[in-house]
Amino acid sequence: MTNHRRGGPLQGVRVVELTKVWAGPYAGKQLAFLGAEVIRIESHGSLDVTRTFGVADFDKAPGFMAVNPQKLSAQIDMKSKEGIALLKDLIAESDILIENLRPGAIDRLGLGYEAVKAVKPDIIFVSMGMYGNDGPLAYQTGYAPCFVALGGLSALVGYEGEPPSGMNVRYADSTFGTAAAYAALVALIHRRRSGEGQFIDVSAVETMTSMVGDNVMDFSLNGRIGGADGNRHAEMAPHGVFRCAHGDWISIAVSSDAAWRALAEIMGPPALAEDLRFRTLADRKANELELDDLISQWTGANDAESLAGKLQAAGVAAAKSASSIDLIADGHLWGRGFYRPVTDPTGEERTIVGPAWRMTEAAEITDGAPKLGQHNAYVFGDILGLSQAEQQRLKEAGVTR
Amino acid sequence: MSALSHFRIVELSEGVAGEYCGKLLADFGAEVVKIERPGSGSPTRNMGPFLDDDAGPERSGLFAYLNTNKRSVAIDLESPSGLEMLSRLLAHADAVIDDHAPGWLNTLGLDLADIERRYPKLVLCAITPFGQSAPAERAHAEDLTVIQSSGWGYHTPSGADPDRPPLKGAGRFLASYEAGMEAAMCVAASLYGREETGRGRAIDISKQEVMASRVDYVLGQMVAGDMDVDISRRRFDLGGPAGIFACRQGYVYVWMSAPAHWKAVRELLGDPEWMKAFPDNWLEKGLTPDRIAECRHYLGEWLKTQDKNEAAAAAQTLGLTLVAVNDAKDLRDCAQFKHRAFFAEVEHPVLGRALYPTTPYKLSRTPARIERPAPLLGQHSADVFADPAGASA
Repeated sequence: MTNHRRGGPLQGVRVVELTKVWAGPYAGKQLAFLGAEVIRIESHGSLDVTRTFGVADFDKAPGFMAVNPQKLSAQIDMKSKEGIALLKDLIAESDILIENLRPGAIDRLGLGYEAVKAVKPDIIFVSMGMYGNDGPLAYQTGYAPCFVALGGLSALVGYEGEPPSGMNVRYADSTFGTAAAYAALVALIHRRRSGEGQFIDVSAVETMTSMVGDNVMDFSLNGRIGGADGNRHAEMAPHGVFRCAHGDWISIAVSSDAAWRALAEIMGPPALAEDLRFRTLADRKANELELDDLISQWTGANDAESLAGKLQAAGVAAAKSASSIDLIADGHLWGRGFYRPVTDPTGEERTIVGPAWRMTEAAEITDGAPKLGQHNAYVFGDILGLSQAEQQRLKEAGVTR
Repeated sequence: MSALSHFRIVELSEGVAGEYCGKLLADFGAEVVKIERPGSGSPTRNMGPFLDDDAGPERSGLFAYLNTNKRSVAIDLESPSGLEMLSRLLAHADAVIDDHAPGWLNTLGLDLADIERRYPKLVLCAITPFGQSAPAERAHAEDLTVIQSSGWGYHTPSGADPDRPPLKGAGRFLASYEAGMEAAMCVAASLYGREETGRGRAIDISKQEVMASRVDYVLGQMVAGDMDVDISRRRFDLGGPAGIFACRQGYVYVWMSAPAHWKAVRELLGDPEWMKAFPDNWLEKGLTPDRIAECRHYLGEWLKTQDKNEAAAAAQTLGLTLVAVNDAKDLRDCAQFKHRAFFAEVEHPVLGRALYPTTPYKLSRTPARIERPAPLLGQHSADVFADPAGASA
């Protein structure tokens, strides 16, 4: 096994992941895409749910493969004393540790910050929890939609005047993972200058609240409590998603009076652009329901994609609302290499969702998600320098199962 | 000691995405010099919420949130003297952040494609709706159209009614905040990498891709051919009885997917008659529309009589992932947020004292801090003009 230097800004950085499901693995994925060597610690005895739930072969689990490309996998049984010792040896050779186990679990394993610091004084220890590491409600647990509800986002999403409906159930984990990845990099910069590692405590709920900070500021400044507001926007009208032909939808956002006039001219009625009800943003906000009705009547018979093209040509922000088919068929995403090929552990080509950026001297992204224990020999042999015989003994003893 | 205090960052951004990126860096001590148009300043100064709903360039809560710890310099980038000042600032900058349309940077002589020729050490990060290579038919974009182009819009809310419009998600700027955070991560990585190689980097961030990558768990399966795609508005959903329920006042969110959750619900409700017909493992192996509807109905009836925070505390003790749906006031009053000091009181010369949300990560050695409120327009012009190298900063 060769070493894993792929270029990119984080080449030479080693990350150990003790993570589960989506948020922790997403943090690791971001770092791997930036060039870090990211090693997932796994074992037969505690396989991640994304490797097992509804899946016949844990080495070909679609959800796991979607979130863990370009990582390494090493098997260590964390329920064994020897396993913990082995893991500590690996951490001593690493820069960043990311964990999103249940609250308190990392301490019970004997891998709390103080214990890890004893073997690796300058480790950057990233602990991810729903509510953060301590505090009166830190005992509470939840999944992504719970973070969204607690963080103040769910209450803002829904149709006007109705109970909140919340974000799509998938929202939150990946955002949380990105916040953790950013914080880890800030600590890495500090370590280079000072030699100091540190403990980073990341809260999923606070990550969510950060995404609506301006809304919270409205309460701080004016005491106003925001609620479900459909597709409304204080500075734009029209600002909505409108029905088109074939059951499709088009989003239209008008940010200036000039854009409104352009839209009105395409809509057709000669007097519309000068209609006093809609001339300024204030007029359009005051008569927004009528405006939305007029637009809906007009869009209803149109093809969403071609209408968006026509509006774009006139300088109006518009886009078809993309279904899963549209997303996969989006030529722009393919053209930019957002969807890109990698080689999976069986040597087959597989398409993955790549990074959301292009950068000069980017890290190479070549590999799919690892098979369980695919990199045992590299991790135990090359990094830790264990002999073949010792690796064999650990395997037979069930430490690296 | 702040982790990023040795970096000088020039912020050309005039939107939420780039300003949020700059804030995330500035809150860790980076010296962020924000270049603003003389007279009107950043467009976000003219976006609400405004103190007392009274608009004005120093009255925006949005601008105040996005620009903590920064310095504001008024420079007219359309004048030769303005460009001269910019180039003096760039000579001493470690990174530049921008969020104008593709091509705008070129008008300043900052070409992403060959930035290393003129500024070999500079990290240049540009955030745009669809990336630098956006096709003409996507030239005009706002966060709404980006969200709708990313898959999140079409599939929001979960359990969508196909006859009602897809939604924009929470607030006005979700795609911008997400892209701003992604940008801060890429800039931090690049500043780190630069210390190794001495070379800067050009970074091209697409908001559409940031949003689409946030659903990689689903989209990655689709693009690999492991999951079907179709026109269903519920294609991202998980099904089951989870969801938002009304309480005596406000709402809770209940997640249920495992037999242990069901056991906890039974205990919480005192094991009423209707539950006895449900198999213990129905959440895993017996999800039927009838059972889901019945469970939601009865659980909803019970929750209507409950206090949301008391119900959450009782449920969590039993192992049920039931939480309050918090609004802005709930957040301010939240004991956990108080304990973690998530809100910080900041004093601003016009807005006065107010609580600001801070950042979601606590670093033990180099915590993020709000040392200064958002700057007044051009507040630091004289200082920066006198000392473009930032030697005295």
